[in-house]
Amino acid sequence: MDDIQAVNALVRRCVTGDAAAWQEIVQQYHRRIYNICYRFSGSAEDAADLSQEVFIKMYRTLSTFDTTRASFMTWVTTVTRNLLVDHFRKGKYDRITDSLEATPGNQDDGLTLAEKLEDHSAGPEARVRSQEAQKLVHQALRKLSPELREAVILRDLQDMDYKDIALVLKVPEGTVKSRINRGRTELARLLQRSYKQVS
Amino acid sequence: MPSENQSGMQCIECEGLLAEAIDGALHGSTLAAFEAHQQSCTACHTMVEEATAGMHWLKGLDDVEPPRHLVHNILTRTIGALPSEHAVVPPRGEGWLDKVKGRLAPIFAPVATPRFAMSFGMAFFSITLLLSIAGLHISDLRRLDLSSKGIAKTYSSTQARVIRYYDNLRLVYEIESRVRDLRRVATPEKEKPPEEPTPKTQPKSDNRQDKDRTNQNYGRDANQPELAASPAGNEQGMKNLTNQARLNRRTA
Ligand SMILES: [Zn+2]
Repeated sequence: MDDIQAVNALVRRCVTGDAAAWQEIVQQYHRRIYNICYRFSGSAEDAADLSQEVFIKMYRTLSTFDTTRASFMTWVTTVTRNLLVDHFRKGKYDRITDSLEATPGNQDDGLTLAEKLEDHSAGPEARVRSQEAQKLVHQALRKLSPELREAVILRDLQDMDYKDIALVLKVPEGTVKSRINRGRTELARLLQRSYKQVS
Repeated sequence: MPSENQSGMQCIECEGLLAEAIDGALHGSTLAAFEAHQQSCTACHTMVEEATAGMHWLKGLDDVEPPRHLVHNILTRTIGALPSEHAVVPPRGEGWLDKVKGRLAPIFAPVATPRFAMSFGMAFFSITLLLSIAGLHISDLRRLDLSSKGIAKTYSSTQARVIRYYDNLRLVYEIESRVRDLRRVATPEKEKPPEEPTPKTQPKSDNRQDKDRTNQNYGRDANQPELAASPAGNEQGMKNLTNQARLNRRTA
């Protein structure tokens, strides 16, 4: 509650033209926004550009934020998601993603795809090994339809609850759950299919 | 595919509960019915397995680090101002001097105290003093010729300068000691004026002086003009000394 009130106060200061308050907001939210953009677009370069666009949009529309309707976090996520949808609908950031199947052939670390994917244990060695798995999962995520992709990003990467995701996506909670289920299932199938092709 | 099995739960119901089931949010009879259904329904069992695996892989994705200049760029594009010193550093690479400092700091940390700095300063001062006595100045280092010929040349000229300096020191010492001796002896004899032409041959010296010469010759040829004799006084007197001093100055 205190956090929400503090953020709301920060937003109010910002609306009155307090540059330091705006700087604080940028510091607090840029990481989250960048990560959503990165996982959705699949590209670090696009994510940096998109994040800047999100903040420009936020800066212009900050006065429309209604503290009674949603949390500032949900509002920020909504602005981000809307901008992503707009951009990808226009095809501005649509790119041919690398073939998931082609990736394991380039590896020379002697690990099978299954080993890379199954290694979720802790420890520095596992950490390094999981870098490859991270790359594969990231590429598989890019292959999901935008609807399923945004749903699993908000749920599994941003840890948002179903109610807030429903607010961001402007769909009923049931639809949110269904998209999350399908997104997870499809991602698993994509990774298993490429594993079967490799092995 | 049958939509209902002996658990009493339909596949569509099972699918609707999937998200909560994976979250571990199902309890009691709902959880029991869900588990019973997926044990008897292969399709739902596979769906639960795949969704769980998908969730684990997604949750295994780490947050990525935004570019360092992102905050700076956002602020420039919104309020048109650079962030304060508390914000992210602008994307300017640190200079080579900073990098060197950064690497050396931990190595020199134990000796980077005022006391050690003072000691190092004194050592540096002593070395500089010695070098300047030898005729070598720090500012000359910039013009130092580091080729083999250059090093040989520098070595020989430095050696010559050191020898000259030492000769001059010995002369001063010699004069002082002779003056002392003359005062001590204080003989009534009148001293001969020192304005005598420089002799071409060496004045004859006594045995003691010969002995001293072998000790103090420093590798010079026997026919070379002799340097001032040892500080131990003898009866040669001022005349011999002055001649030697002149010779010495010419050598230098
Ligand atoms: Zn079923």
